[in-house]
Amino acid sequence: MDMKIESCRELIEEVIDTGLCTYCGACAGGCPYLVSFKDRIVLLDNCTISEGQCYQYCPRTHTDIDGISQQIFGAAYSEDELGAVKEVLTARSTDSHIRERAQYGGTVTTLLSLALEEGFIDCAILAKMSNDKIPGTFLARNKEEILQGAGTSYMAYPVLEALNQIPKDSTERLGIVATPCQALALSKMKKDPPQNRVNIENVKLVVGLFCTWALGLDKFHQFLSENLDLPQVIKFDSPPPPANRFDVYSKSGKLSFPLDEIRKFIMPTCTYCLDMTAEFADISVGSVEGIEGWNTVLVRTDAGVKLIELSKAKGELDTGHLPSQSLAHLKEAALLKKRRALKEIIKKTGDKKKLLYLGLQESIVDRLLA
Amino acid sequence: MKKLSKEPLNLIVAGVGGQGNVLMSFIIGKALVSQGYFVSVGDTYGASQRGGSVASHVRISEHTCYGSLIPGGHADVILSLEPAETLRMLGQFGNPDVVTLTNTRPIYPADVTSGRATYPNIDELLKLIEKLSAKLIVIKATDEAIKLGSPIFANVILIGALIGSGVLPLNKKSLEPILRENFPKEFDANIAAFNKGVELAGH
Amino acid sequence: MASIELDAPGTMQLLLGNEAIARGALEAGIGFAASYPGTPASEIMDNLASIANDMGIHAEWSVNEKVALEAAAGASFAGIRAIASMKQNGLNVSSDFLINLAMTGIGKGLILVVADDPGAISSSNEQDSRNICKWIDIPLLEPGNTQEAKDMTKWAFELSEELDTICMVRSVNRIGHTRGNVKLGELPKKEQRAYFPNIWNKFEPMRSKFAAGPFPQLHNVLHQKLAKAEEKFESSPFNWYMGPDNVELLVITSGASTSCCTEAVKELKLEDKVGIFKLATTWPIPENLIEKQLSRSQKVLFVEEVDPFIERSVMELAANLPPDSPHLIFYGKRSGHIPSYGELNPDLVINAIANVMGIPYQARDINYDKEAQELSKAVPVRALNLCPGCPHRATFWAVKNAFQLDGRDGFICGDIGCYALGFAAGGYYQSRTMHAMGSGAGVANGLGNLRQFGFEQPVIAMCGDSTFFHATIPALINGVYNKSNFILLILDNSATAMTGFQPHPGTGMTGSGEPAISINIEALCRSLGANVEVCDPFDLKNTTATLLRLMTEEGGINVVIMRRECEMVRAKRKKKFPYVVHVDPDICIGEACGCDRVCTRVLQCPGLIWDKQAGKSKIDEAVCTGCGLCVDICPEGAIIKSPT
Repeated sequence: MDMKIESCRELIEEVIDTGLCTYCGACAGGCPYLVSFKDRIVLLDNCTISEGQCYQYCPRTHTDIDGISQQIFGAAYSEDELGAVKEVLTARSTDSHIRERAQYGGTVTTLLSLALEEGFIDCAILAKMSNDKIPGTFLARNKEEILQGAGTSYMAYPVLEALNQIPKDSTERLGIVATPCQALALSKMKKDPPQNRVNIENVKLVVGLFCTWALGLDKFHQFLSENLDLPQVIKFDSPPPPANRFDVYSKSGKLSFPLDEIRKFIMPTCTYCLDMTAEFADISVGSVEGIEGWNTVLVRTDAGVKLIELSKAKGELDTGHLPSQSLAHLKEAALLKKRRALKEIIKKTGDKKKLLYLGLQESIVDRLLA
Repeated sequence: MKKLSKEPLNLIVAGVGGQGNVLMSFIIGKALVSQGYFVSVGDTYGASQRGGSVASHVRISEHTCYGSLIPGGHADVILSLEPAETLRMLGQFGNPDVVTLTNTRPIYPADVTSGRATYPNIDELLKLIEKLSAKLIVIKATDEAIKLGSPIFANVILIGALIGSGVLPLNKKSLEPILRENFPKEFDANIAAFNKGVELAGH
Repeated sequence: MASIELDAPGTMQLLLGNEAIARGALEAGIGFAASYPGTPASEIMDNLASIANDMGIHAEWSVNEKVALEAAAGASFAGIRAIASMKQNGLNVSSDFLINLAMTGIGKGLILVVADDPGAISSSNEQDSRNICKWIDIPLLEPGNTQEAKDMTKWAFELSEELDTICMVRSVNRIGHTRGNVKLGELPKKEQRAYFPNIWNKFEPMRSKFAAGPFPQLHNVLHQKLAKAEEKFESSPFNWYMGPDNVELLVITSGASTSCCTEAVKELKLEDKVGIFKLATTWPIPENLIEKQLSRSQKVLFVEEVDPFIERSVMELAANLPPDSPHLIFYGKRSGHIPSYGELNPDLVINAIANVMGIPYQARDINYDKEAQELSKAVPVRALNLCPGCPHRATFWAVKNAFQLDGRDGFICGDIGCYALGFAAGGYYQSRTMHAMGSGAGVANGLGNLRQFGFEQPVIAMCGDSTFFHATIPALINGVYNKSNFILLILDNSATAMTGFQPHPGTGMTGSGEPAISINIEALCRSLGANVEVCDPFDLKNTTATLLRLMTEEGGINVVIMRRECEMVRAKRKKKFPYVVHVDPDICIGEACGCDRVCTRVLQCPGLIWDKQAGKSKIDEAVCTGCGLCVDICPEGAIIKSPT
């Protein structure tokens, strides 16, 4: 189904005002009108362009998932739980310095640092937290800087805004750490390269992060500052089920919140997201169930394979085989997210054929819901 | 005191707020009073200064001071600093006998620069102005003024053109003392601008 | 431009109506003048202040019109002839004192000049100030041309002393701002001495005349003064009749409308059928004189602006005519022949008379008329805009962005001055209210105290530096004292710009050019207990961040002084522009996604124009003043500034 590209007015009506916005930043930073602020995308002035790139690349306007799959993977979208995968493995950094700072195994930091050193990319666009644990986007150009971006805040952050702010005639090759919605926006750009503002050819590497949900920045950060001495905090972690808690590690020790207390900060839009494993990245990285200090790695594209092989060869990564039970659980969790999301979407629209932003074949929808 | 070609003789000096039409009408008015005429000059002041349309109505008489507003369709001469304003004045005050002197440099209102309205093509605009005038004298006053050193000289160039055209009972001699009084420090530059205007009205 | 102090009696000069009024006051021997800037009255004091030192008089720009009138009254009490001048709204501000002054009477001649603005060319309302004279029982004079503006002002002082009351001279745009031939009179040379004697009130011994009472009795005295005035007006040479003794139509007119009537009658060639009675002593109306005019015709057309003031007064009079008098038919605002709003012009009067007389009128050749109307449709509208280089543009831009980022539908309570344009495109439509001087902060007080009703919108009140001194201070005090919540933006551009750059208590100079104390606005606001910050509006980033911080984090009263000189003031001081600015067409992306020509379409500075053919923005070097603001707006960095 061909998408009709609309203006920023429709973007606001259909995505932002309806609560579908994932705050990925794909619409912001590339023009005087759309900017991110606190936890919203703000329209500073009206724009009269009838077909805007803001609308075109938003991952929550109509998205031709099949077309994108064809473009990136050379195959139609299937209902495989984990998306297109060439290789599944576990991995962790061989550098203890990295592992110390890492969320789990330090694989993302290692892959990006290697990509920089080998000249695959000139800089990486990452989110990092301030001393007060407020996320912000920054451009990292060496290993030390990449390390500063290690660890996740679980808060949605418009990292793609930084991509839009890079001049179109820049020749710097870019690596981006992306959540599933951000990876989807990037793949929309790869499928129909933008005419203005962004040179998508420069994006050489997309490292995706597993994601079940993201937290709304403004209110969650307020909650944190009310309950914690933030400069003392080192790391946040939401361990996989059946854990049901949200952990905060600080210099003085670990504090756990019942996950139910945190749920109210989950962005409502996450209910409508099918993608747990960042299916449109080059390499997707997450935790390993039951094994601390390691990452689950899903390699999807040739560029991804090249980088993983190189990191093994250079001894930057320890790798291993993901236990079949863990893989089964991973697939289950991923499938559950797809099903739940589809049901919620259909509940919202009241029509199985109207899937909000999803351009999915009906047969796939049926198989997923079965 | 020379006899007027019409009693009263009605002149409109038009432009955009901030262009200096008030000073121009004052200079012309003073020169006329010094020659013994009764003059009434009505200007628009205040808010119009901020980029709005402005016009000075100058009524010249041998006997008495007329009201400062010219009735619709009764302008004898229109002298304008801005071409769209020229056409606007002709629309309201023109008639088959009107003599028009106009500058050519457009000043675009915010409605045009923001895209809400269009400004007519300048050649088209001059054609429309010519259609509505018995006689039209086109003066590239701003361009000439920039050559002389600053766009502000456009005013005096146009006054020169007005005098040079002969439509008013004034000559160079009657203007010189007024120019000297108003521009004591830059008299030479202004008299040069004035002379340029006279010359441009010549053909 | 003209010099009103010219000692050349009998010579003919080209004077502005306001210059003529000032000259008339000088010829009457005033020693004191006070005013506040307001169009169309400002030039009266502009002129008096410029010659004050030479002529040995005191002429001041007061902080507001109430103080101006009070100060002038003080001088009058002490035996010095005094004049207070103001626009229509100034009358409203000084009305409380004026009414009380009517009660007490005066010392030496005291004249109030009120300049109305029919059509509201430069005002926030349309009003006919003549009505107050009927309300408070003071004489009203309306000059009909520039010569009369001088002569009637001069005579008014005599009248004021003969009646022992303040008199009002009413001017309008077409009197105050019209230049006309004026024959000058003599300038008095004698010295003046001031002394405020103790004059007893005629009703209560030991009570000063000027601390009046009892008021009902004084009210009666006022009526007696008016009766005396009427007697004088019966024979005033400023009232005249033009035309045959008996006519088909009698036109009764006053003020600036007079010339519209004489022109209309001439244009319609009805000099033998239509007579014009011009009234200059408009209140109280000279009843016998008017009755005499009414006997000339059975049809009467009233031509005046703005309200049917004379029309109603004469109709009241006509109601009392003997029962056997001929039946009169009145035309005017009541009948709809003359509009009851807006400014009059000769065309309206020509059409009214032609209508009443039943004759056709064609202003110009009918074919030309059609063509002219059709062809002139091509001319675009000219909306008002801020000047190129105006710091208010930067302020409005920062406010707009701060409100959008805040997201709670914030707004500005606007005020009077150049920044009044906040209601228009030039100010990005940010002002949601605009009424009178100081009302921005006043209205904000209310809006900022509605939190108990769930009100969450950020409120910004706006005023200029001159407006601040005029009227905003009490509202600011109220906000602090009554615990309201708003941001007060004081746009300090070191000028009373809209009216012609008159000085005020913050500029360090008096009206007559002497150095004066410059009142420190920050210190004043801080002493009132408000939080005070100072920003440079051209520093967009910092200004926007400050506003955003204050509206999202701070309650109570926050004052932000936006300090940056008015461009016109700066240009006069420094002939050079700060920067030379140009657009690089190779970098400019114009209408493409990523810009959509934000500089010409949204910022709308008149110094930027859109070259449709090239698809690029351009600097208009005949208009741009090189402030460099647009450089910070361009998303591509296509606008480049280099210091001059």
